[in-house]
Amino acid sequence: MASLGELERALMERLWAADGPVAATRLRDELADRGVALTTVHTVLTRLEHKGFVQHDDSRPRGFSARASRADHAAELMHEVLGQAADRHAVLARFVGSVNDEEARLLRELLAGGSTG
Amino acid sequence: MLPATAVALAVLAALLAWPVPALLARAHWPGRDPLVALVCWQAVGLAGGLSIIGALLVHGLAPWGHSLPEAWWSWVRDEPAGDPVRGDHWVTMTLAAVLAVELVGVLALSWWRTARARQRHRELLEVVVRPGPQPDARLLDHPAPVAFCIPGARPLLVLSSGMVAELDEGQLAAVVAHERAHLAEHHHLLLLPFVAWKAALPVLPAAERAYGSVRELVEMRADDVALGSLSGATPRRTLAEAIVAAAGGTGGVPSGALAVSGAGVRARVVRLLEPADPLPRKARWAALTGAVLLLLLPTALLLLPAL
Repeated sequence: MASLGELERALMERLWAADGPVAATRLRDELADRGVALTTVHTVLTRLEHKGFVQHDDSRPRGFSARASRADHAAELMHEVLGQAADRHAVLARFVGSVNDEEARLLRELLAGGSTG
Repeated sequence: MLPATAVALAVLAALLAWPVPALLARAHWPGRDPLVALVCWQAVGLAGGLSIIGALLVHGLAPWGHSLPEAWWSWVRDEPAGDPVRGDHWVTMTLAAVLAVELVGVLALSWWRTARARQRHRELLEVVVRPGPQPDARLLDHPAPVAFCIPGARPLLVLSSGMVAELDEGQLAAVVAHERAHLAEHHHLLLLPFVAWKAALPVLPAAERAYGSVRELVEMRADDVALGSLSGATPRRTLAEAIVAAAGGTGGVPSGALAVSGAGVRARVVRLLEPADPLPRKARWAALTGAVLLLLLPTALLLLPAL
């Protein structure tokens, strides 16, 4: 039995790969090897809609599509996750923040002049 | 009457509200032993809260007894005060209650808010990330070189594809080891009290300064732990290279608060390339003893009979 998170990822892969809106039944058929019921597909699609990844049209049956490309979603997430609010409240630990061009140049000089050790 | 105790606590509170954090933030030795410095900061934060609330409480309850526990008990049982109760006693008692409730409330609130934001971020990221180059790392498709971890019961360690493209294998291992150190040592818990202090007392410049220092120290500590797990001939240089590559990478992502001046990044690189001698054993123990005494002093003043 696959976890919800795993199913979410699998469904998004299908939607990102699809040309246009996809019906829930087709998604179920494509995930047949996982033995997923249609209700489960709908549950996962609803979750993904709440999270802002998926939208549906008004046709019958409803067609589901990704709200944005994978790259756009990644860029949007980067902004939210690394944003000021998260930074102030230490929501995550970032390896290093980016610095301006002048600081970056100084850092590279430091590295070039530093002893190996 | 407990005036001497209240005065002593007030003096301690004043010292911990400004000169002590200022000195600790400016000192150079914390970079030589971030772990000991982190312990000292926790002691400063805790003792500061204890002494300021204690000073107000001791003065407020003075008419009821000769030691705080005695006075408190007598006050709780609604016994008549031994000395006349003036307006300033009520004012300081109220202030103590307000401050205690605010500190505890803000701590709980920021814990809750942070936990919620972490969960939301984790749920969103889990849809987009893919398995990464290391078993516990996930890959996020983005050109900017970024790495971070979201602490919690189900931690998430994320590397951007830009980071993977920019760094060689050894450097990438250094980045992952650094993030793993944050998770393994629960560094987010060390930051929590200072997030709360900063939110509860935004007028206190020392609170902001303390938070900045603790953040820097946590990064240095994670660097030190990462070094221990790295193979290769020059782990220090490898980690420094990874930091410089990630700090210099552009690509339209928020820069992060530490980067405002870049001084924190520079300090990390410098101590990797030109490591100062580790703190001597004696200095280490002196600092740790100082931290313990700092906590014992207000505790003793609160519990022992008045001077």
